[in-house]
Amino acid sequence: MATIGQRSERASQAHTLQRARHRASLVPDLLVDARRIANTVMAGWHGRRRRGIGETFWQYRPYQAGETLARIDWRRSARDDQTYVRDLEWEAAHTVWIWVDLSPSMLFQSRGARTSKEERALIVAIAMADLLSHAGERVGYPGLLRPRASRNGAERLATALMGDLGHPNDDWPPLTMVRRFSEMLIVSDFLRPVEECEAFLNDVAQHGPRPHLVEVADPAEEDFPYKGRTEFLDPETGERITSGRAQDWQSDYTELRAARRDALRQRAHALGGSFTVSRTDRLASETLVRLHGLMTGNPEEVAATDAPGDSP
Amino acid sequence: MIGAIGFTFPAVLAALALLPLIWWLLRLIPPRPQTELFPPLRILARLVKKEETPAKSPWWLTALRLGLTALVILALARPILNPQSELASGDGPLLILIDNDWSAAPDWDDRVRTAQALIAQAGDQGRPVALAPTVAGPAATVQLTDAGAAADMLGAIEPIAGRADRDATLARLLAATETADAPPVLAMIDTGLAEPDGEALNDRLAGAGLDGLLRFSATDRDLVAITAADNRTDGFALSLARTPAAAETASVALYDSRERLLGRGETTFEAGAAETIITFDIPFELRNDIATARIDGAPHAGAAFLLDENNRRRRVALLTGLAGDEAQPLLSPLFYISRALAPFADLIEPRTGDLSVDVPEMIDQGPAMIVMADIGVLPAAAADRIDEWLAAGGTLVRFAGPRLAASAQDDPYLPVTLRAGERALGGALSWSEPQAVAAFAAESPFAGLEAPRDVTVTRQILAQPDADLADRTWASLADGTPLVTGVRRGEGAIVLFHVTAEATWSNLPISGTFVDMLRRITDFARNTEPGQAPVTAAAESTAALPPLRILRADGTLAIPPAHVRPLDAEADARPGFENPAGLYGTPEGFVARNVLARDETLTAFAPAPPGLDVAEQSLVAEDEADLSGWLFLAAFVLLIADTLAVLWINGRLSFGTAPRRRAPASAAIALAAGLVVIFGAGTSRADDTRPGDDLILDALETTRIAYVLTGDRTVDETTRAGIDGLTRFLASRTAFEPGAPVGLDIEADELAFYPLIYFPMSAQGDMPSETAVARLDAYMQNGGTILFDTRDQLTGSFTDGATPETERLRDILGGLNVPPLEPVPPDHVLTKAFYILDNFPGRYAGSPLWVEASALDDGRADRPVRTGDGVTPIMITGNDLAAAWALDDAGRPLHAIATGDPLQRIYAFRSGVNIMMYMLTGNYKADQVHIPALLERLGQ
Repeated sequence: MATIGQRSERASQAHTLQRARHRASLVPDLLVDARRIANTVMAGWHGRRRRGIGETFWQYRPYQAGETLARIDWRRSARDDQTYVRDLEWEAAHTVWIWVDLSPSMLFQSRGARTSKEERALIVAIAMADLLSHAGERVGYPGLLRPRASRNGAERLATALMGDLGHPNDDWPPLTMVRRFSEMLIVSDFLRPVEECEAFLNDVAQHGPRPHLVEVADPAEEDFPYKGRTEFLDPETGERITSGRAQDWQSDYTELRAARRDALRQRAHALGGSFTVSRTDRLASETLVRLHGLMTGNPEEVAATDAPGDSP
Repeated sequence: MIGAIGFTFPAVLAALALLPLIWWLLRLIPPRPQTELFPPLRILARLVKKEETPAKSPWWLTALRLGLTALVILALARPILNPQSELASGDGPLLILIDNDWSAAPDWDDRVRTAQALIAQAGDQGRPVALAPTVAGPAATVQLTDAGAAADMLGAIEPIAGRADRDATLARLLAATETADAPPVLAMIDTGLAEPDGEALNDRLAGAGLDGLLRFSATDRDLVAITAADNRTDGFALSLARTPAAAETASVALYDSRERLLGRGETTFEAGAAETIITFDIPFELRNDIATARIDGAPHAGAAFLLDENNRRRRVALLTGLAGDEAQPLLSPLFYISRALAPFADLIEPRTGDLSVDVPEMIDQGPAMIVMADIGVLPAAAADRIDEWLAAGGTLVRFAGPRLAASAQDDPYLPVTLRAGERALGGALSWSEPQAVAAFAAESPFAGLEAPRDVTVTRQILAQPDADLADRTWASLADGTPLVTGVRRGEGAIVLFHVTAEATWSNLPISGTFVDMLRRITDFARNTEPGQAPVTAAAESTAALPPLRILRADGTLAIPPAHVRPLDAEADARPGFENPAGLYGTPEGFVARNVLARDETLTAFAPAPPGLDVAEQSLVAEDEADLSGWLFLAAFVLLIADTLAVLWINGRLSFGTAPRRRAPASAAIALAAGLVVIFGAGTSRADDTRPGDDLILDALETTRIAYVLTGDRTVDETTRAGIDGLTRFLASRTAFEPGAPVGLDIEADELAFYPLIYFPMSAQGDMPSETAVARLDAYMQNGGTILFDTRDQLTGSFTDGATPETERLRDILGGLNVPPLEPVPPDHVLTKAFYILDNFPGRYAGSPLWVEASALDDGRADRPVRTGDGVTPIMITGNDLAAAWALDDAGRPLHAIATGDPLQRIYAFRSGVNIMMYMLTGNYKADQVHIPALLERLGQ
């Protein structure tokens, strides 16, 4: 009988080149996929919605004494008796670090899932990079990419990841370049021990960025549909645990998992960040919409979707 | 009886010692788990700290598998239920006396098993065996043989509907062992019923020098048997005997020669009584048909009682001195006698009228009774035969009359001496009144009959008063003079009625009592001849009766087997091997031989030979039963349970929750299907109904008028309303109440159920296919009638023939065998079938009604109606009858009459009634009009 979960494809060390090529062929697809998903979100993407330094017109407003004359829009002012100042929309570039966990535990796809966890994580990351770079933000990848503002941020990230994909990436990212007043998007399954995760978050907090955690979860991991005598195999450590009646473990397992998640969520909130669950049996765009809301600081949206225990 | 259990291969049981090893193995090897990749294993790892992982099988699964293994081992050891213990001891020859008489049949298998066990054990011990059945031919020999030959012999023995002769059988057995060196052991497998030879048997047993006497007998035999049958006046009586252990009630059924049930009754033995009598109140007419009486649920020959001519309807010869006038049968002297006797006797009429010829001829046919009406003198030849016949048991019944009165003094065939002449009562010259009949005396054969109060005797012949007269008087008049006298003569009897057989001297012959009296005498005539039927009485003394049907020991009749010999004078009185119970003779006349004799009882057989102990044992009731099959079955069931359990453990079988996977569901379905196949197979019933049967039954239950659905909605609606209107009109005006009209699809529907099919022509409708037209043709050929209505009289009559409807009609008729047609002639039955009509209008009035042209008119002007058989298969009109008949629910007409004449609608309905009456009655109405002429002709 077929197993519920399967190891999804991922290069081992011995086949780095081969796997890298495969990834290389996969990445354009991912890119297109991410573009497509990002476009659906783009429609609701507005700038900073306040005046500031930027290129696009924001508003005309009456000239106030003391302002520099250079900002007066003469063409507009000539039409009536008032003197108008042309305001531009504020377009301050923000630095967003994106990091994707590519550890072996991400190479998992169960029968109910649409994609493997790794693919979902890459799609979310590249799609966010695409969205952010289109918005003019600076997108960086710790250890791979310096933060730069460019229209082709997604391609840059994809190219960088393509080079990196062949290597095991099971350690936390180096945070040496990360500075304050930035955002950090961490896409992982957070299956390492919760203490380790919290230590990393403390590390992040010390460097200053707001952490946005995206937990990629497979439905099999979420719902624990296993029954009967089952031997569980850890893809990272190779450890095995055999259960006589797996269904008996379900409630305890889900409880533990929820407890972990709550701890991470509270930690992220305490650091001013957010916590998002992306189930691989749901659409990636759902996650992107939520991330978009979080990053653009739409408080209603965030409040509605970030209730404890909620897992969009 | 569940006895001990033995094992054929006990060594295999040693394998049970392996069970602990299997237990250890089973504990060690759990079922293989399903390996699942699971990234969040660390979370699970925390759980494991709390819970034990069952690395071993659950204890109950182990127990299940151990049980399975143990069952297989036990099954391989071939356990056997009821292993037989040692039955006979000793070392001399084993003599087996086995009863195979009538009462051995119900438990014959047990007896054979007992004998088999005895023989087998004797074979094991190397002892010679002699086997002898107690119902055996006189030439039967017994030899000491080895066990194999004895077993073969045993297979050839079967129970016979005869009586056991144990003494003779024992003698044969002992004779066979005279030369044996060791004293023999006798095993008696007896029925437990005593035979008359009990004393002799005891003596022979005591003197036989036996080493031991074993008796295998069923204790408490519950047998009920029929010992005698009596055809009494008040009913058919059967005498039943029972053993003390038998049930107190017995149900008896009577069958005729073809085993058809004639009657059934129940009787109850009084507590402690061994005999009872059951009486069936069965009409005389049926009593003669009784061939067998059987006790229900008793498969032995004693429960079946065969009846023969002795219990049958008797032949009665009728003789008269007068040649009766056929023209005036009511004055014939034998008329009342034959009318009274015919229901319960076969009557023999004189052939020539010459007594010297008729009497011997009649006696040759073996009558039980001869009735002579007023015969004075018998010819000498006849008298000799009469004497002989009387001696053999005939009953002679005589009626008085002028001739007898004249010759009474020297007539030898009279019960009493008669005075010459007759006595007239109540004549013109007499003071005396006509005499009534006195009540019948208690000792008279007529006792119990009610004396007729309305019978008076005006003339009689008188007996000479003497000492015997009172004894011989069976019935007397109110003044004490005898009316009926009788006396025994030889085996037979002579009965004299002192009045005539016709109603001239008294009105006795036309009273109901006369019938009863004759019936009593007929019964009496039966009882004068116990033993053999008169038809075979003469033949029996000389010739042997071949076996006709033989009663088998289980109480059924069968073709005689080879060992049955004809029944002759030398035959043993008791049924035995050569002459078992059954029917002997020819199908025309036979003698029944039954197992038990009259008044015999069923008493227990208890051999008590002096000086010899009887070791009583019961029969081997249960055969050895091999249990291994059942054990294997149980093991298989456990195997299935194990499979299900493993599936459940692995989570493939979910109880109570909706099945998510197809596998358990399909497994459950397969299991259910298997159960249905195993247990549901017996519940299917033969069902010969076919789809549409209910429609056919519905169509047949009530007569309906049918119409053809043309496919033109307007026309079909009008037709339906029209036929419905006609149906209502018919129901209100005539005795014919048709059912709801039926619209027919002539392409598919069965047409044969309807007497008339109304076929409106519609140019818009579909042209019927060739098949449909062929069906219409077949319908017409088979006697149906189709009424074509072109509905176009207004636009162009049928004769002009230009309308589309007429064209359509022509198209259809082109495919039919249409007879020559003519407009309804004025003398056609249609014009007179119910109403007198001269035309057949519908909505229009102009079109004639065309019918099949009658055969050549014979031109007789005086006949009111044309002759001719049959009914026209086709009628054609253009008057749109249905539109005129069409009524709405409130009974209002739906379509206006073309002429506006309201009477025309009435006539349209009357046309419809006439047409339907013509359909249903045919030319019967044509014959009706002849009734005055017929009556006139009959009036002579």
